[in-house]
Amino acid sequence: MSSSTSNSRKIYLKISLAIFLGMGAAVLLMRLLFLVIGADTSNIMGRVVEARHALPKVVKEPDDLMLFFGSSMVDAGFSPRRFDKKLEQRGKQVKSFNFGFGGLNPFFQDYLSRRIKESFEQSDRKIKLTVIEFNPFQATQTRWNGANSIVDSFITMLASNDELIEIARNDPKRGALLFNIKYLRNDISAEMFTSYFGRALFPGTRPPRLEEPEELVKLRREAGEMLGKLFEKEYPDYTGEDWYYPWQGGGTIPEERSEETLEWFKKYYSTFQNPANKENARQRRIASADIEELNFEPLLIESFIRIVKNFQAVSDHVEVVILPRQTEVIHYSDEAKARLATAIAEIEQTTGVIIRNQQELPQFTSDMYRDATHFTRYHGDLVYTDLVAEEFAHYFDQ
Amino acid sequence: MIFNTPLFFLFFAIFILCYGFIFLNHRPKIYLIIVGSLIFYGAWNYRFIPLLVGSAVADYFIAQAIANASTVSRKKWLVTLSLTINLGVLALFKYADFVLISVADFLSAFGYQASLPTLSWVLPVGISFYTFQSLSYTIDVYRGDMKPRKGLAEFVAALSFFPQLVAGPILRAKQILPQMHALALPTWLEAKHALLLITVGLIKKTGADLLAIPAQKAFESPETLSTLELWTGVIAFAGQIYGDFSGYTDMAIGFALLLGFKIPLNFRVPYFALSPVDFWRRWHISLSTWLRDYLYISLGGNRTGHRTRNVFITMLLGGLWHGAAWTLVAWGAFHGVIITVTHFLAQLRIFSSFNQGSETWKRIFKWSITFYLILLGWVLFRAETMSDAWAMFVGMHTLAKDAMISTQAIVVFIVVIIWTGLTHLMDHFVLKGSDKFESKGWLFWPLMVIGQLLCLLIGEPSSEFIYFQF
Repeated sequence: MSSSTSNSRKIYLKISLAIFLGMGAAVLLMRLLFLVIGADTSNIMGRVVEARHALPKVVKEPDDLMLFFGSSMVDAGFSPRRFDKKLEQRGKQVKSFNFGFGGLNPFFQDYLSRRIKESFEQSDRKIKLTVIEFNPFQATQTRWNGANSIVDSFITMLASNDELIEIARNDPKRGALLFNIKYLRNDISAEMFTSYFGRALFPGTRPPRLEEPEELVKLRREAGEMLGKLFEKEYPDYTGEDWYYPWQGGGTIPEERSEETLEWFKKYYSTFQNPANKENARQRRIASADIEELNFEPLLIESFIRIVKNFQAVSDHVEVVILPRQTEVIHYSDEAKARLATAIAEIEQTTGVIIRNQQELPQFTSDMYRDATHFTRYHGDLVYTDLVAEEFAHYFDQ
Repeated sequence: MIFNTPLFFLFFAIFILCYGFIFLNHRPKIYLIIVGSLIFYGAWNYRFIPLLVGSAVADYFIAQAIANASTVSRKKWLVTLSLTINLGVLALFKYADFVLISVADFLSAFGYQASLPTLSWVLPVGISFYTFQSLSYTIDVYRGDMKPRKGLAEFVAALSFFPQLVAGPILRAKQILPQMHALALPTWLEAKHALLLITVGLIKKTGADLLAIPAQKAFESPETLSTLELWTGVIAFAGQIYGDFSGYTDMAIGFALLLGFKIPLNFRVPYFALSPVDFWRRWHISLSTWLRDYLYISLGGNRTGHRTRNVFITMLLGGLWHGAAWTLVAWGAFHGVIITVTHFLAQLRIFSSFNQGSETWKRIFKWSITFYLILLGWVLFRAETMSDAWAMFVGMHTLAKDAMISTQAIVVFIVVIIWTGLTHLMDHFVLKGSDKFESKGWLFWPLMVIGQLLCLLIGEPSSEFIYFQF
């Protein structure tokens, strides 16, 4: 071996070691920091992770299965145990589940629906009825742009390795980035970390905020604290799951609560029924989701179509619904109505499923919402669950 | 493939493995550099590889022909051929649509509706950099400043050398070709300096991506923001473009140094400049010296009594080099004007005596005026249209909007100022004191790891390097 060869190997061995040990130490420190601040998949999308973990149990349920898949509006608005009871009264044994998840637009929901589909296919089980929520404001360009900083992290949390390899084949740069996020960065991209801490310093444009009456704010705080205490008293064994199997992914039901608790709930929700709160909630949705103009992002419509197809593969029946809109608060422009009609037509044409547009049903009044879009517990959610039971009970006749 | 991505890290790890452990002789190393550089370049768009290689091959043979030409007129004809090929390709890809659209706009202003066809071609990454680099070789050979080099492979390797291929610095043939021939190994001290430059470059780029947020906000909707917010946006852009470009350059110099190549600095704390002339001695040095040596001097430089005209033309074309847009032409013209005015003032007795003193207040005064002018220039550079730039100028100089100042706006303003200043302090430190720091291992390595950690933690989506578009 000549001296220049040996020198080359010596210096580049030192350089390689310096780079890899330096980067390795930096990666270890980063992971340590994530551990300390609790930045991991289960803390960021605990409800999704817990629901995915529950899938092996769900597929083994002996009764007919019903899944309601959608956004946080489904999470707040559908009570599986109420639904099952309603159907039991009609002599049908059904086990339903609430698969509503906040913070997931259709692009992310598509990945989650693939995981659900895989679970059912692997166990050769079918869902009797899947109800899928098409949430118009979750499919807007504004919503998509708002998710810019979390896309990579969420993909690594929700995609399978095969899907990541497919991405890498089409775009090696992106593939390398995603594998790096998944295996070296504990699913936390630098963009997600920055957006979490940096938005306080560089916030987007915030809508003006109206002041709510002070006495209502005070009462809300008092009621909230009281409800927390009552919850601990009435559910001593609950360990804080976001997606709790015994509740089938939904929330608590009034039959289990005391009269006192139900009274406090009434007081609590009454504090939201003021014009300032409603207007603030409306403005937030306009800023974050373009809720009144509905400029759709084509990618999200395509993703939604894939969701429907994923569930069609493992369900006897698939229904698509648009949940009731608080028409006193959220007003669509004529252009928004036209855009929504076009999107609905595209989904229906591609999937063959007729969408049930429940947006303007008269029985849903403003006092059934706690903000611009979500139903109140023990009122709005019950009325809506009863509607779902009424509309879809016939699927369980056979 | 950009430096601050995992894919580049993977690429460079494999490259180092081959370069340092497997391909140990000269010729295989040269071929490895060519293959590696073409993979690096092809990662953007492999269809432009023939353009890059074609430029190199054409200029290699033209330079040989110039050296062998027996008459001056033949030499002149050959260098004109090189200029035509290189600038022709550049014009076709970069300026054809700009000219056609401008002609159509001009005609429509006089009532003629002309619909001229446009090419809509994708701009090859780094074309402005490697074209100028290749041209410098044929011009130097023509001028007799250097002899043509033997070895086509070495020339192609030098022109396509991946660390500086897509965003410079613009190397002269006489800087890179001898190094490509020697292929020296880096010393351990140089390797440590390279790692420092890469880390500093990454930190600068990371900060630049964050500064992009207030900058974008200001330039997107100037009419809705207060005067303070607009100034914050402009200073943020000044910090962003500096961090972005000099960060890339630092990394380029660092990666090249790890391979044993010494590339000169491209920036010398430019925002510390005390005059517009001084600024151009510190900003994008490889471009400004290229324009000085090959354009300004070719026009006659200071000698012909047309200094003002020559400065103006050089700066105008310097602006146009950055991109095909009227705002960039205006930016170049603006710098042409302020440099000319600086020259003019320097000749006046009152200013020449002012210039002679080096008291602190004089330096602060000169620095403030210079920085203010540079910021005005960045408005032209960043704005999408001339009317957007005008809206920014008006907003920045209209105090009435300050009634809307919020605490948050003040905080962001301070953060932007501090970060832009810190970037300069880092540079100052790299220029003046890095050798002492690099010799203290107990301090060097932990700070390197912390620097890397910072870059791993902070990121913004879609943060390409600004200078790639030029």
